[in-house]
Amino acid sequence: MITETIRNSKKAVIPYITAGLPSFEDTGALIRALADAGAPAIEIGIPFSDPMADGPVIQKASKMSLDAGFSLDELFLHLREWCGSVSIPLIVMTYINPLVRRGIEETLIRIKESGVSGVIIPDLPSDPADIFEMSKSIGIDLIRLVAPTTKPERIKDIVEKCTGFVYSVSIKGVTGSREIVPQGLKKQVQLIKSMTDLPVCVGFGVSKKEHIEEILKFADGVIVGSYLVEKLMDTANPVKETNEAFLRLIK
Amino acid sequence: MKGYFGEFGGQYVPETLLPALEELETAFNDACADADFQAEFDSYMKDYVGRPSPLTHAKNLSQHFGVDVWLKREDLNHTGSHKINNAIGQILLAKRMNKKRIIAETGAGQHGVATATVCALFGLKCAVYMGTEDIKRQNVNVQRMRQLGAEVVPVSTGTATLKDATSEAIRDWVTNVDNTYYLIGSAVGPHPYPIMVRYFQAIIGKEARAQILEAKGVLPDAVVACVGGGSNAIGIFSGFVDDPVELIGVEAYGTGADKNAASISFGFPGVLHGAMSYLLQDKDGQVLDTHSIAAGLDYPGVGPEHSWLAATGRVLYKPVGDADALSAFSLLTRLEGILPALESSHAIAYLSTYAVDNAGKTIIVNLSGRGDKDLHTVLELGL
Repeated sequence: MITETIRNSKKAVIPYITAGLPSFEDTGALIRALADAGAPAIEIGIPFSDPMADGPVIQKASKMSLDAGFSLDELFLHLREWCGSVSIPLIVMTYINPLVRRGIEETLIRIKESGVSGVIIPDLPSDPADIFEMSKSIGIDLIRLVAPTTKPERIKDIVEKCTGFVYSVSIKGVTGSREIVPQGLKKQVQLIKSMTDLPVCVGFGVSKKEHIEEILKFADGVIVGSYLVEKLMDTANPVKETNEAFLRLIK
Repeated sequence: MKGYFGEFGGQYVPETLLPALEELETAFNDACADADFQAEFDSYMKDYVGRPSPLTHAKNLSQHFGVDVWLKREDLNHTGSHKINNAIGQILLAKRMNKKRIIAETGAGQHGVATATVCALFGLKCAVYMGTEDIKRQNVNVQRMRQLGAEVVPVSTGTATLKDATSEAIRDWVTNVDNTYYLIGSAVGPHPYPIMVRYFQAIIGKEARAQILEAKGVLPDAVVACVGGGSNAIGIFSGFVDDPVELIGVEAYGTGADKNAASISFGFPGVLHGAMSYLLQDKDGQVLDTHSIAAGLDYPGVGPEHSWLAATGRVLYKPVGDADALSAFSLLTRLEGILPALESSHAIAYLSTYAVDNAGKTIIVNLSGRGDKDLHTVLELGL
């Protein structure tokens, strides 16, 4: 479902939001608003106490959500409702430890049964063949990341054990807004595309309308996280302001 | 599988870092096979660190407990702890890899000081990540690092201790991976760090084994060491792991069952900072806040090899709390004239438990560091 949706989308800008921020009800409302606004898919981040791939904004958001009482059990209660309320695919982004603690296989099944289409795990083990086989038999997409430092042989191996789309990390570094589109990005995306038919979406550091337009000339989609999540914190009307920020990016 | 001890270990890192880990592994394997590298390491161990460190027969302590106690004196190393062994080894490796900038994490500040020291020695730029909570309680070491020319980067996220300093160091590494070498101080992190740190700390066990054989003519009955991440422990254990010697790792029990840093005693397998190990976490896999009076033990994870040694039963891991560690600190100071680090005091404290059923037996305690840095903490408690 994710692959087709991104292929068929004219302007695939995928929003990332932190679950449970400021509340589960707000996350549900925001998912519906973003879907109405034209998001082709939505990435829902499970907050983690030690998010080592994330910059200050998502670190802070994760902490706020956890401090507000986020729990996996409550998330599972809401996930089904969220998936049922929109016609676009939802993707879950989680560090691996919550899966390890709950059992990787049973948790992936639970996420799938809630209606979620794919998962992104930024700290998969270096050889995640087992988890790929598991996700395949469960029927949930395992979206893999390719970094600017990833060598061609490794890219080839990654795209063979990847479904949904390939997540091309734009920069060496953690998540968070950057001022420029990195020089080597276009080449990286083209290299990935030469090895797979899967769509390639670019994430990390993207926060500007003009960057999105530039990236969409060579990539199939863009993921925007920190720029939106910032609006979920310390604003008077988080759902409205986050959705408006998303609308500004795509119009 | 590569880099695993049973189910523990591995490389659970952002994709960006994998090539750097591969490069590191290759460089490390090359260095291990290079006699010149080994000779250079040995020469720094001897002439700069002051090795071999003595194995002191603690006669008063032995009399006090009724067991024969020997202390492996890592506190006498240059910079005051075992951390310098690994720092020298890894800085020689970083030099071989032509890296110009070094980063490190530190809890008690001993690894930070060791790293700042070797960076001064080799003229390399150095940034040390340290939690603001630890900066407060280990101020002497912060000042030492600054004098040595290192930048101490305060980390105020999370519990503002070693765990958060490590996360922040990893974020720096992901960002500056091209020119930066991450000098991890404990036997934790993704492969190849745990085996590399063990390799450089193994000198403790090698020496201790030869020294006790020379002094007593027999192997000890037991070897005990404190375990945070577990580098001093894995170093001394590696010398005895194939012998019929009881090995005991002492974890920090803090103030009790709900506020400690005893990952093996109270944790579950989990992934933090790039490897699978026992981890203090809640039922959702969120990492728990930890507490130990010893900043160097105040960490929710533990080395993957320790996790495996615990799972296989080869090493026993026992918790010792703040209060007992403090008593041991005073005891060793008064009886032997040796002021131990609060981390090492945990290992000393275990002697009272060991003595109960082992009268007359011989035990080596790894005295991993000296306690000057902890005077502030001890004085605040009015001891």
